[in-house]
Amino acid sequence: MHELGIANEILDAALSEADRHAAKKVTSIRLRVGVLRAIEPENLSFLFEHLARGTPADGARLEIVEEPIRVDCPECGLSEAHAFTFECPRCHGPNVSVTGGDALSILSLEIED
Amino acid sequence: MEERNRCGILSRMGPGGNVRIDVERSILQSADEAAVAIRALLAGRKIYAINLISSPGSGKTTLIEALLARFEGKGGVAVVEGDIETEIDAERIRKHGVQVRQINTRSSCHIQPSRLLSVLREMDLSETRLLLVENVGNLVCPAEVSLGEDARVVLLSVTEGDEKPLKYPLVFKTSDLLVITKTDLLPYVTFDVERVRRAARAANPAVEIFEVSATTGAGMSALLDRIEALRATKR
Repeated sequence: MHELGIANEILDAALSEADRHAAKKVTSIRLRVGVLRAIEPENLSFLFEHLARGTPADGARLEIVEEPIRVDCPECGLSEAHAFTFECPRCHGPNVSVTGGDALSILSLEIED
Repeated sequence: MEERNRCGILSRMGPGGNVRIDVERSILQSADEAAVAIRALLAGRKIYAINLISSPGSGKTTLIEALLARFEGKGGVAVVEGDIETEIDAERIRKHGVQVRQINTRSSCHIQPSRLLSVLREMDLSETRLLLVENVGNLVCPAEVSLGEDARVVLLSVTEGDEKPLKYPLVFKTSDLLVITKTDLLPYVTFDVERVRRAARAANPAVEIFEVSATTGAGMSALLDRIEALRATKR
């Protein structure tokens, strides 16, 4: 249920942007979400739909652009998007570093003016 | 028909129809702002703050009690306890004679920085040098939100299994210290310490790893020494 707080923040941000642009209605919201955020899209959409009822974002669609993790290996030089791992998927070296995958932002909104 | 302007403010999608607004705005903006305010409050008072995160029952409150024993007589420790319900942890800490506040988060699975900020503003922190914040017991949500802490400590007990860093990578990626607890139980459970160390290092190469048992005392003094040294860095 950690999606509840996030759904609330999305709604607040979307409504303040809609207000700034004097929009009557928000029809969709595009998000960038890192895989490390462990967000269940269905759960997020369900909670958002509930919270947005009666607001200008009532019925707005959430579109999620997933941000993958990158794995870098100092031994073999591999640098690629990959699931979280503690060893290099190519040379099995143990010193990999994992970067990215923690994004949580609104990219754009679609509004009716 | 779509028109992108360079500043990305408005793009007409169709006559009289929808308009796209490019925003690029962090969803956690208000939480981040509260964390910045906490950091400023702590910096002004030279208080070193630790955010303790773990599953329920991994030993957060026990570690706090060990720290209170270490700092007994030296004073200057304040504690904020986060739980969904009850004052049980705060009462347990209060027996040690230190300033403690309980935050009941009810429906929220982590301490919100705005809530912590208002609690800190109510506390008398004039003598405080070390602030210990015990987050709500889970490895997911507390990892997402900064409380403006100086150090984030994640605890993992050996009974939870050695795959936790792979299942909950964010908390291990964002923690400065990893404390493997209840090591006296290692003979009775399947827990590969080396596997955890490797996974935690992959998530955060700078992580400092400690293995402790509060029951036997093994490893505790090294951990407490380290925390005491960290506190001393904030002057």
